[in-house]
This record gives sequence, structure tokens and C-alpha cells, in this order.
Amino acid sequence: MIRWRTLIDRVLVLLLILALWQAGSLWFGSYWLSSPWATTTRFVEQIINGELIRHAGYTLAEAGAGTLIGGLPAVLLPFLLRRHPIIVAILDPFMVGGYGAPKLAFAPLFLLWFGIGMESKIALTASVVFFIVYFATLAGVRTLDPRLIQMAQIAGASERQIARHIVMPGAVPNIFAGFRIAVPYAIAAAVIAELISSNRGLGYLVQTGAMNFDTTSVFAAIVAATLLVHAANMAMNTLEALLMRWRPPLQSIMES
Amino acid sequence: MTDIAIDNEPHANVAWRKWAIHGGRLALAAALILAWEYGARTLGRLFFAPPLDVLERIVTLAASGQMLTDIAATMRVSAAGFAIAALCGVLLPLLLRRSLRATEAVEPYIMASMGIPKYALAPWLILWFGIGDLPKLVVVTLVVFYILYITTFAGIRGVDQRLINMARVIGASERVIAREIIWTSLLPFFFTGLKIAFPRAVSATIVGEFLVSTEGVGRSIEHARQISDTTGVFAGVVIAIALVLAINGIVNLIERWALRWRPVERDMQI
Amino acid sequence: MAAALLEIRQLGKRFAQRQGRDQGREPSPWVIQDLSFSVREGEFLTIVGPSGAGKSTLLNVIAQIDTATTGEIVFDGATVSTRDPRALKPGIDRRIGYVTQDDNLLPWRNTLDNVLFALEVQGRLNDETRARAEMLIRAVGLAGFEHYYPHELSGGMRKRTALIRTLVYDPPVILMDEPFAAVDAQTRTQLQADLLALWELGRKTIIFVTHDITEAIALGDRALVLSKQPSRIAAEHAIRIPRPRNVKDIFALEGFAAIYEKIRADVQ
Repeated sequence: MIRWRTLIDRVLVLLLILALWQAGSLWFGSYWLSSPWATTTRFVEQIINGELIRHAGYTLAEAGAGTLIGGLPAVLLPFLLRRHPIIVAILDPFMVGGYGAPKLAFAPLFLLWFGIGMESKIALTASVVFFIVYFATLAGVRTLDPRLIQMAQIAGASERQIARHIVMPGAVPNIFAGFRIAVPYAIAAAVIAELISSNRGLGYLVQTGAMNFDTTSVFAAIVAATLLVHAANMAMNTLEALLMRWRPPLQSIMES
Repeated sequence: MTDIAIDNEPHANVAWRKWAIHGGRLALAAALILAWEYGARTLGRLFFAPPLDVLERIVTLAASGQMLTDIAATMRVSAAGFAIAALCGVLLPLLLRRSLRATEAVEPYIMASMGIPKYALAPWLILWFGIGDLPKLVVVTLVVFYILYITTFAGIRGVDQRLINMARVIGASERVIAREIIWTSLLPFFFTGLKIAFPRAVSATIVGEFLVSTEGVGRSIEHARQISDTTGVFAGVVIAIALVLAINGIVNLIERWALRWRPVERDMQI
Repeated sequence: MAAALLEIRQLGKRFAQRQGRDQGREPSPWVIQDLSFSVREGEFLTIVGPSGAGKSTLLNVIAQIDTATTGEIVFDGATVSTRDPRALKPGIDRRIGYVTQDDNLLPWRNTLDNVLFALEVQGRLNDETRARAEMLIRAVGLAGFEHYYPHELSGGMRKRTALIRTLVYDPPVILMDEPFAAVDAQTRTQLQADLLALWELGRKTIIFVTHDITEAIALGDRALVLSKQPSRIAAEHAIRIPRPRNVKDIFALEGFAAIYEKIRADVQ
């Protein structure tokens, strides 16, 4: 429960931010710094005429497709390799390298290969999501309590049943944690790739706005992108609350 | 049953496994390079520059000094951005710590602003500052700032409140508490945060250079792409990856050196 | 005398020395050595021993989740123990159930689903078995908690769930490794009473391991005393206290004190 004083403090801070913003806009001129009011009206305008929604949809679609294409193999691989630790060990340096390498730095490469359409953004987001989810899933599969597996074996479970009833549910929290981190990342990556070169999406809106010297458009698009990222975060949080009712309330913060 | 059987494996098995793993890795690396070569031959030079060509280009770039210029430009911005971000990202939590009220009032906005795609500010920054170092610098600083802010905050929260209470009971002033307890407890978090943040600063600069094309490693990559110089793109990417890995390695070495003589050596994972 | 259902013959167990580098290989100590006993069908056998006496190891080998280094285990006339980890058959085709020290409930399943787990896995889930599960849930006082998750249950309730999870699929032999050690004394006495009540219904063969002499006497028909490592059977005591027993007043029962003294002496 938020205390009243905190609430009032926060509102005051918000007003302060808006005031500074507005003052800056007046001082520098709306060409340089679009005012809060102008940004908001343009934002609403573009929502109503559908343009923001359309482009946000493209960005979301790119991120979503990339999440599926990158996420699915990333989840399957640790399960398939569960009983082949040697293969996992062989792959390890390559996976760590892929995880550590900044995928965004490959953006021009993807643009070269797939063109400026949605495909290149999907490829980029898929690569971002893959490595994050792979390591998260791997952690989930590895840190499974072996006694639970023993228990299932004594009860007569086959390997398939163990995979389905023990390993999979046990790994779900980790898998989910991976997606939680990866999805907002994917959206940000899609936007960045669009900034470099694209013909649609929120990043495209930012670029064209800038090229037309239309600061207000630029701001509106940035606000839209920010809201999209936050919406994704909230969606993931809600999903987690729904899926994880069985978890004990005290969770360690360290995951993945 | 290898999951559950208690490890009764004989000695020889362990050695065999090590050989298999190392051999497998070499084989996989070789296979990837062969696949690269094959890709270049079948898919055409537009999409896949042959490994040897890429190597040749890298050597040319190094010899002509272009590579060094690019790296210098990138590192210049990375270091500056990192320094500013480090200052703000570390000081802000420490300052906020003094006032719980201020923290609670301000924190939601800091978290909300974290969702802003920082790179999206680049085009607007170009309007302001033109194409040069400054837009890149701002973006990199912002990217790194949030990383360090969160890391420092987590570190502060992790400081044992009981130690602080004990110090207060003894009568230590806030300044002494900050210095003795918080600073020392924070050190491992610090190093981990800096360790993560500096390579990120470098890669953030490179990505920034895709958007603000003047000079630097990223600029070379993007320029090559725009003129469909696939070999140039490949060469640039290799250089970029090598740079980030090298920075990573250097930072790790520094950490090991710095923490060697410290009594408190804890391994933090963020 | 009924033939022995389970025979342990000169069982020996030691763990392989973990070799990092070759620094003078010392053979690792024997946890169990030359351990022999037999169990009759329908018998409630308790095994007492000090901590570190290899009680869990013994049960692990009997349950076939670990190999025997020497000796053998004969179950229902057939040799089941093995030296080869890959040949292990945990639970011996579900004929040996195992209630471990940690309840090992699946945290993502509620009470009812945890109890039904073994039946599900064995493909024996039907109206009859479901009814049996529900009967057992009621019998241990968990009625109404069927849809609670393990983290919402108390320690004692989780133990009960773990108990009936094994009982529900009716294995002929049930091993129990100090299942009530981690609960408070009052809950423990209640759990012991519950266990005996359930056992009376079916008279399964039970091997119950504990460090608590009182528990061993309260529950068992026969109590074996395990020596310290390398463990073997140090002594055997028949417990002639008549059934059904009132575990809550066990101290007052005739013959208790005498048996207790004898066993305590052996445990030293």
C-alpha cells in the first residue's frame, strides 16, 4: 500500500518533470524540443488515425516472430541434450560466445542478408532471444532436484514420463524467467534495427520524423515505443503470476 | 540412469571425456569455418564474403591504419560515456540512499525512463548536435547509466542492515557508515557492475555508430553495408567482436589484479 | 515360519574414491560391510542406528537406486542387487516403495495430484484407485486440502502426503528413511499413530529406519540395531508389545522399559 505522502511526492515529481520539459520547449523552441502538450496531442492523433497502432503492430510482430523462432529451439535444445552432457560441454564456448557477443552489432549483417523488411528484424530478435532463453532453460534443466527424479523412478516412471512430469514443470520457472528478460529486449532490438534501416515500424517512424525535421512525430513515436516495452513487461509479470501459483512466496532474485 | 547413479566411474572415463569435449569443440569450430567457406561459394559474394577475403581485408585495414583510427574513435566515445555514466550511476543511488522519501518519490520515474529505447533518441540528438561524437556519447552514457544504477542499487540494498544498525549504535556518523560499511560491501558489486558495463559501453558505441555515421568501428560496418561491400561488413563485424572480446578480457584481468590483495573476495552474479 | 520376502546377504557398500589427480589412491572406507538380515512378509521391521551409520545408504541399495559393492539382495527368491549402475531398476518394478527423509513432493502439483502421481505414471488411474486415494487423504486428516500446493502445507501435512503417495499404489514392500525426523514431537506421535492405523489395514512389509529408539519400539515387530561405520547388524530384538498399540502412551506399556534399555545398550 502506497502511503499518501509518497503518492503526493510522486505527483509533485511528475509535475516538476513536465514543467521542466515545457520550460525547455519554450526556451529552445518547439523545433528542438517538442512540448509535452504537442507530443501528447500528436500521440493521440496518431493513435486515432491508426498510424501509430499500425507501426507498433509491425514492431510487435517482428519481436513476436523473433521470440518464437529464437525461443522454441532454445527451449528444446537443453531438453534434448539433457542426457548428453558431453554435447552440451562441446557447445558451451560457442553458446557463451554467442551470448556475450553483442547481437545488435550484427544488425547491418542481418540487414545485408535479409533486406530492410521485417525479415531482418525478425532474424535479429531471434538471435537475441535464442541465447538468453537457452541459458535460462539450461539452468532450469540442470538445477533440477535429482531426488525428485529418483522418486519418480521408484514410482515406475519411464524416461519420457520423467521428462514430461518432472523435468519440464521443474524447468518452467527458469524458462519463463528467460523469456521475461528476452521479450522486452526483443522489442528494443526490433526498434533499433528499424532505426538503422527499415520501411515500417516504430523505429521507422522515429527516423522519418527526424528526416522531416518533425520533432513532435519523433517524440510521439518514442513515447509509443516506451509504452510498448512497458506493456510487454507488465504482460510478462501478469503471466508469471498466473503460471506460478505453486511457487513458494520467497523467491531468490538470482535467476538465469 | 546416469542422472541418479552415484558416481562410481573409474578414472579412465574422466580422461576420455575431456578429450572428447576438446576434440568436439575443435571439430565444431572447423565445421563452422568450412560452412562459412561453402556459404560463400554457393550463396554468392553478396551475402557471404569468403573467409580468406575477409582476412585479407582485415590485414589491409590494419596495415593502412584505418582500423586503428576506427578503434580509437570508438574507444574514445566509449570511455567518455562510461566515465560519465559511472559517476552518475554510482553517485545517484548513494545520494538517494540518504533520503528514503526521495528514493520512493523518484524511483518509479527512473524505472519508467529505463523503458525508453535510448538509441531512438539518436536521430533527435543529431538534429541538435549534428553528426559527431556528441549524439553517440549521450546514447552510450544513458545505456551504461541504467546498468550501473541498477547494479549499485542492488548492491546498496544488499548491504547488511544489521551492520549499519550496529554502527549507528556505536555512534558512527553517516559519513563513516557510508565509507566503512557501504563502500566496502559495495566493492564486489562495483567490480561486477563495471565489468559488465564497460564492454557494454563499447558495444553500445558501435551500435550508436550505425546510426550516427562519422567514424568508428560501427561506422565502417554500416558504410560497407550501404555500398554493398559484403567483405567490408564481414571484416568490420569480426573487428568489432574481437574488440569487445578483448575489452572483456582486459577488464577480467584488471579485476583479478585489483581483487588479489583484497581480503574480501566474493563472487557476485548479477 | 513364512519364508523371507527380502534377504540381505553380506551386503557391502563403499563409494568410489573421487580422483582429482593421482595422489596416492587410498581405498575409500566401507559404509556398510557384511550386513545380513532378512524380512518376512507382512513384518514391520525397524532399524535403529546412530547418525552416520549408513542407514540411508542401506535403503538406497535395497531400493535399487544404488549399487551393491559386495554381497547380494534377494527379493522374492530372485537376486536383484547389481554392481552395474546401468542395470539398476529403481523400485524393482514398483514392488518396493520408498518414503524418503525429504518429502520430495512435486511443488507444482497440489496434494491430490501429488498423491495420484504414481498411479498416473503407472497408468492405473481409474475410479477405484481415485477412491482409494481420497480414502487415504481422509484417513490422514488431509480432507479439504486436496487443492493446496506443497508450499501452503505445514511440514507434517507434507509428510502425510508423501506417505500416502507411496501407500496409494500398494507396493508389497515399503522402505522408510526417518520420515518423521523433521517434525515436532507432537506431530511425530500423531504421524506414527496414523502410520500404524494405515498399516493395520493392509499389513504391508515395512522397513523403517530411525535414530529414535522409542520410535523403533513403538512401531516395529522387530528392531535391528545398526553399528557405526562400517555398519553391520549389531543386534536383533523382538518386540513383543501386543498390537494394536497406543503409541501416545507407549512409555507406559509393559515391557517397554526393558526393551528400551537393551537396545540403548546395544546402540552404544
